[in-house]
Amino acid sequence: MQGLHIHGIHHAYGDTDVLNNVSLTVPAGELVCLLGPSGCGKTTLLRIAAGLEKLQAGSISIDETVVAEPGSELPPEDRKIGFMFQDYALFPHLTIRANVSFGLFRQSKQAADARAMEMLEQVGLTRHADDYPHMLSGGQQQRVALARALAPAPRLVLLDEPFSGLDSTMRARIRQETLTMLKQTNVATLMVTHDPREAMFMSDRIKVMGANGQVLQSGRPVDIYYKPVDEYVARLFGPVNIIEGPVTDGKVETSFGPVISDEIPDGEIMRVLIRLEGLSLHNSSARKGDIPVDVLSAHLLGDSSIVHIRMREGANKGVEYRARVQGSFDPAANGQLWARVDPRCIFQYPDTEDGR
Amino acid sequence: MVQISPSFKIESETIDEDHRHLVEIINEITKAIDDGQPQECARLVPDFVAFSKQHFDREEALLAGLSYPLLEKHRRHHISLDDKLQTMLNLAARVVDHPPARDSLRKELVFFLLDDVINEDLNFKKFLAEVETGAPNDTGASGPDK
Repeated sequence: MQGLHIHGIHHAYGDTDVLNNVSLTVPAGELVCLLGPSGCGKTTLLRIAAGLEKLQAGSISIDETVVAEPGSELPPEDRKIGFMFQDYALFPHLTIRANVSFGLFRQSKQAADARAMEMLEQVGLTRHADDYPHMLSGGQQQRVALARALAPAPRLVLLDEPFSGLDSTMRARIRQETLTMLKQTNVATLMVTHDPREAMFMSDRIKVMGANGQVLQSGRPVDIYYKPVDEYVARLFGPVNIIEGPVTDGKVETSFGPVISDEIPDGEIMRVLIRLEGLSLHNSSARKGDIPVDVLSAHLLGDSSIVHIRMREGANKGVEYRARVQGSFDPAANGQLWARVDPRCIFQYPDTEDGR
Repeated sequence: MVQISPSFKIESETIDEDHRHLVEIINEITKAIDDGQPQECARLVPDFVAFSKQHFDREEALLAGLSYPLLEKHRRHHISLDDKLQTMLNLAARVVDHPPARDSLRKELVFFLLDDVINEDLNFKKFLAEVETGAPNDTGASGPDK
């Protein structure tokens, strides 16, 4: 199989396990994202794949060549890997052209320069070839970093939080450009990020990592978002409304109607999670199950607004929730509305201390 | 074309043969799509799903017979793949009218086989080898059961 194959990686710093039997496959042309909070081991895994950290257990193959197994490791420069880091890691004393050709040391200077210019053309920076990194914007520097990563035609590209140093407008643009170039080159890419939106945008497959260095869930972005395996994974993708209640006759009663829990024993306490974007607000009740609510306030975030609502009647009268609606929302003009739940955005999990 | 490289071999004739057959079906599906016959997916993808389930049953029976200590964990993993198998069936139903579904189906099949099935099966490769040679094993797997 062309691409990256990691199997059974264990890694510890002293007595602390940071990676616990992690395996993954990145076929050529695909992008897999390791998503998780700081300290979950995702960057350690990237460094092990790169050869920057000594492998303790497991194996790593790239394009069917074993590059690391206990007692036998290829040095980083022999693994044919391209890197792209958050801080660009450009050499300040080298020109842009020299930065891009830096990894082409096995080629003649002429061939390396030609390849560097070819890559700079692809990222639209040929006119900056003789400039120095400090003369470029953050977005331009990140394009240089991408050109440098792809210049040696690597078999694998590793991206470590590559866009987090950019402002939001530039980040959106650079990640689209990066994704386009990676797909054009048909290279296997492993990226780490703590940003769920970035992971969803970039990935063919996401691997969610937990604090214990294990992969908690693996799948397409749409599956991770709509079918999170536990509360921890569900909450990685943004704030949620939480309703706690016991299972009674195979269901949990909520302000928005019963949630079926027929495989859970009666009496067990469940936590029902509703994504903010899973609550929509309407001027009238068009469907059975629409719930009358009062609007308390709204906060515009730009492309969406967070709206605070309160149950207007019924057993849960007075209980407050939050909804996310598209665009701006005027609470003064929308005092009394009807709330409706998207069933794809409701999840329920047993009440545990750690959300797992 | 998907090919199983040596690093993906479990070294169990039964299981490796199943994996080979799953690869064959994936390659048939890919060929049908590439040849402009996505309607073939309506037959091939259910075959893939059915054979995957048979493979899981065969594998669990084999491991149960060998008293694999992490069988329950592996069985739970198989159950967790039901949604992905259903996703493939859903995509197969859309590939004729929705070209983007073809790429999604291809990706899902490859990731499913390599990442979800074979990579997980490699966890008991060491156990099977030790059973065959009569060597003692500790946890019976290449990783701890957490």
